[in-house]
Amino acid sequence: MQFDPVANMQLLVSGLAFGSIYALVALGFVLIYNAVGVVNFAQGEFVMFPSYVAVSFILPAVTVFGTVVHWQLPIVGVYVLVLVLMTGFGLLFNRIAYHPLRDRGWMPVVISTIGVSIFLRNAAQLIWGSQPIVMPSLFAVDTISVGPLHIRPQDLLIIAVTAVLIAFQFFLFERTTLGKQMRATAQDRATARLVGVRVGRIVAITFVYSALLGTISGLLVAPLFTVTKEMGALIALKAFAASIVGGFGSIPGAIIGGLTIGVIETFGGFYISSAYVDAIAFIILISVLLVRPQGLFGERVAEKA
Amino acid sequence: MSAADQIAAAESGLLEIRGLVKHFGGVTAVNALNMTVRAGDIHALIGPNGSGKTTTLNVISALYRADGGSIRFDGAELVRRPAHAIAQMGIARTFQNIRLFGDLTVRENVMIGRHVRTRVGFVGALLPGGATAREERETRERALELLAFVGLERTAGASARSLPYGDQRRVEIARALASEPRLLLLDEPAAGMNPAETDALVALLRTIRDKGTTLLLIEHDMNLVMSVSDRVTVLNFGQHIAEGPPADIARNPDVITAYLGGTLDAA
Repeated sequence: MQFDPVANMQLLVSGLAFGSIYALVALGFVLIYNAVGVVNFAQGEFVMFPSYVAVSFILPAVTVFGTVVHWQLPIVGVYVLVLVLMTGFGLLFNRIAYHPLRDRGWMPVVISTIGVSIFLRNAAQLIWGSQPIVMPSLFAVDTISVGPLHIRPQDLLIIAVTAVLIAFQFFLFERTTLGKQMRATAQDRATARLVGVRVGRIVAITFVYSALLGTISGLLVAPLFTVTKEMGALIALKAFAASIVGGFGSIPGAIIGGLTIGVIETFGGFYISSAYVDAIAFIILISVLLVRPQGLFGERVAEKA
Repeated sequence: MSAADQIAAAESGLLEIRGLVKHFGGVTAVNALNMTVRAGDIHALIGPNGSGKTTTLNVISALYRADGGSIRFDGAELVRRPAHAIAQMGIARTFQNIRLFGDLTVRENVMIGRHVRTRVGFVGALLPGGATAREERETRERALELLAFVGLERTAGASARSLPYGDQRRVEIARALASEPRLLLLDEPAAGMNPAETDALVALLRTIRDKGTTLLLIEHDMNLVMSVSDRVTVLNFGQHIAEGPPADIARNPDVITAYLGGTLDAA
């Protein structure tokens, strides 16, 4: 196989796009883990469920609860609607799945998030059936030409949105009182409370923020895949691997880990075998854990599941 | 609060603890404690190890929940209020084991303390410019003033964890002051300080009092207690055994026998 700079450049763009999705979902994992000390196993469903809701409103005809609906609303309006709905979902998730169990240690909360995950996957099957649904993209064309490169505009959108979100996150954490309260809560909840931080509110905001990161990932990635009830699980699994590769709990680690896995698996899929794409993330994970168990940016080994 | 309540609060003290009880399993750490902290005083809480001093502070700031009794702050009952509400009412504290946010900078730690006095909410915090930016700037400036006040303006950008122990204590004081407390609780502020640092601390505590904040401090350093306090309360086995000006406490035979086992004259 000869070295082809154009192909490699296209692979890089595609890899960064997938990596961006993993990075956003990994951020969701890490923010919740830092705030409440628990891995949220429903994070993948934060990607899947809003994607289903979005396609139901966008497509000319979708079967919902066995009835064909024809909502067909403008895509951008649906994006806004879904983000609003998922804000409510994040609050509800905090209230139902986390808040009642917050003083019971981490295990009941983990079980609770697994329960929500199972519930949402089965709810999706019940509502939308088991047939994959194709989500249309914002763009009329599949690829555009940039010089010799043929690039999917959706990839560029994913990379751009992710860059904006990461910049926003930096602004939030470094430049706002709210962000400092989130960081203080992540480091020491008891002390944060004693200096006047309303920790319960910060945790609720964190769940909403993670739900919105998942939602944005879903809306961005769904046009490249199909919408299925399993779509979130695989993305979340790779994002989880990404956050461990980056060093669990580290925000830069989640971003770098996600991008790394996205790029390597895309190249691996092209040069080695597309059949092994899904294994590559875990090969990277195992390799990093062997060489550097705390992850690329990790300072400490995670104590909890 | 009504005018009558305000007068009652002024006459009876800023902080009124009555019949306070705290158990840990079978151990009674605080047993029917009564004490009054008058507004404008530096009030020291002393007693042997295990006498319930830190527990009392922890119950006041709602780190622990009282098992009985009442704590009134300016007439308002504190027991059963959540910790953040107590901070918002104007009670701030420092810790025996320093509890700074180690990964945040010194300035950010102080800014967090300021938060209870800022107004912009969640949505406002995410909107660029305007109120958020102004409030952030004011909070930042105020934090720098407070760091200058405790003598640490040069380390504002360093991570809190990187500072020497004595400096971390002063960051905690600045963080507590950032909330503009009416009552400042200090748990062994001089622990681990050398004599020169302790002298500077005494001056700092007096300045804080003179600016209108009431202080309640736990301290083992008797030189510091005797030189800085306006009033002293002595605890033993979770109970109040004496209260008064430091000179009286030093002469109180109950205190000398029950607590010191000797004389305070040397101190």
